[in-house]
Amino acid sequence: MNLSLNTEEPNIMHIDLNSCFATVEQQARPHLRGKPLGITNRISPHCCMIALSYEAKAHGAKVGMSYPEAKALAPGLVVLETDPPKYHYAYQKLAAIMKSYSPNITMKSIDEGIIDFHGTRQAIHRRSLESIGYEIKQRLKDELGSWMRCNIGIAPNRFLAKLAAGLHKPDGMDRIDSTNLRDIYDSLKLTDLPGIAEHYQARLNASGIFTPLEFLEATSDTLRRFVFHSVVGEDWYRRLRGWEADDAKTNLGIVGRQFVMDTRTNDEAIILPRLHYLCQTTGMKLRFNGVSARGVIVWAGFANGEGWYQRKMFKTTFYTDQEIYRRALLLFNTRPKHMKIASLGITCYQLNPSTRSQVSLLDTINKAEWLTQAVDTINDRYGTFTVTYANALEGKKVVKQKIPFGGTKYFELLLKRA
Amino acid sequence: MDNYVAIQKRVPVVATFSMGSERVICTPVKMRYNGQEIIFTELGLRHPTSKGKRMVHVFDVTDGQTDYRLEFDAASLRWELISAWEVPS
Repeated sequence: MNLSLNTEEPNIMHIDLNSCFATVEQQARPHLRGKPLGITNRISPHCCMIALSYEAKAHGAKVGMSYPEAKALAPGLVVLETDPPKYHYAYQKLAAIMKSYSPNITMKSIDEGIIDFHGTRQAIHRRSLESIGYEIKQRLKDELGSWMRCNIGIAPNRFLAKLAAGLHKPDGMDRIDSTNLRDIYDSLKLTDLPGIAEHYQARLNASGIFTPLEFLEATSDTLRRFVFHSVVGEDWYRRLRGWEADDAKTNLGIVGRQFVMDTRTNDEAIILPRLHYLCQTTGMKLRFNGVSARGVIVWAGFANGEGWYQRKMFKTTFYTDQEIYRRALLLFNTRPKHMKIASLGITCYQLNPSTRSQVSLLDTINKAEWLTQAVDTINDRYGTFTVTYANALEGKKVVKQKIPFGGTKYFELLLKRA
Repeated sequence: MDNYVAIQKRVPVVATFSMGSERVICTPVKMRYNGQEIIFTELGLRHPTSKGKRMVHVFDVTDGQTDYRLEFDAASLRWELISAWEVPS
């Protein structure tokens, strides 16, 4: 493969809400504006900061730090628990604004999305993307609040648009195209590139590539054969030059849930309600996606640092909470029972389109499925977990809803549970 | 969250309803709580959320001293004061 830089006029816009959760909380509570703020999933003495305001980041606090670490760096740090409906509202507003410019938008996560302007420039009167970018920033303030800010990146492909969006935080807007691409690369480190962390950096360094410009100059063959040892190298060759390599659609492969135990124990009276709840929420995800599973993996991390897992592929598919828990329990009972469990998880795999509408010859199966449908209908109407398993109640109290960072496909489902 | 107080009590609220570009915009102006009239100085964020099939509108407001979270049930047209949070100095 031998490609030059993509000289096409940029048609991709990447929009990233700045420190989304913290900014939305600051918008909601004016007195938190301008102050160091941390967001955590569940407040505890050593809770993990999943989002930080720019004021906290300015003191050196980083996402992923524990509360004491962040507090030591950012005196006066205020910590709040996540409030998903608020963030979902911001997400919906952002998505609606983006859709008003092009039908071809992709929400990459709860706080970032891409507008593809290919084929829609005529409809927006061939305005420059910079002009649209400023308009989007203003609309965000008008429709959500004056504290809301976003970064915008404009480029010929998704990779460069994301890179551009990260150049001047907060509230920046940058454009990368064939005219300034080399200058931008020249000002960056390898790990400044989206998708390049320490592991990939080490691979590149081992092949004599130490800067983004050297990365750009590397041949497709070098990247494929010597650096990445796969087609991934060709993808990098393309995306670094502004050609699209990141617009492939992915299929749902696994569905699951995990939990870091609130108490490290081997007491089944404590563990099983939590496992049951994880199975129940996994079942909700399966049904939300309209799929059935055939395989189950149950795993546990022990207090001594060791791990354990068991997996099994079953002959029949399943999607009801009862079936998931029954099969998970079969596997879970084979664990070393004397070990204290620190974390716990379940994953369903080998997913197929659900056969829920097909009536079984076996009445017991039909009854279980009809019961699940009836319970789902009641819970849709009156709120999730209005009808639930007694054994899972304790789990529901302690396993808190998480915010999906990686994708937004479960957001509607999560909102029901909020 | 040291100064956070969960309340969850129905309260009388005076609100304005004005026509926005797409929908009616509701803005709480003041409420009566514990015999006191509390006048809101700023609306931080309003966002809808659902409780089953019920639609509830959440309002984060402040009177300059304390932040309040109010919920307005769109079906019963009732206001509920959910929590108060004294602003740390």
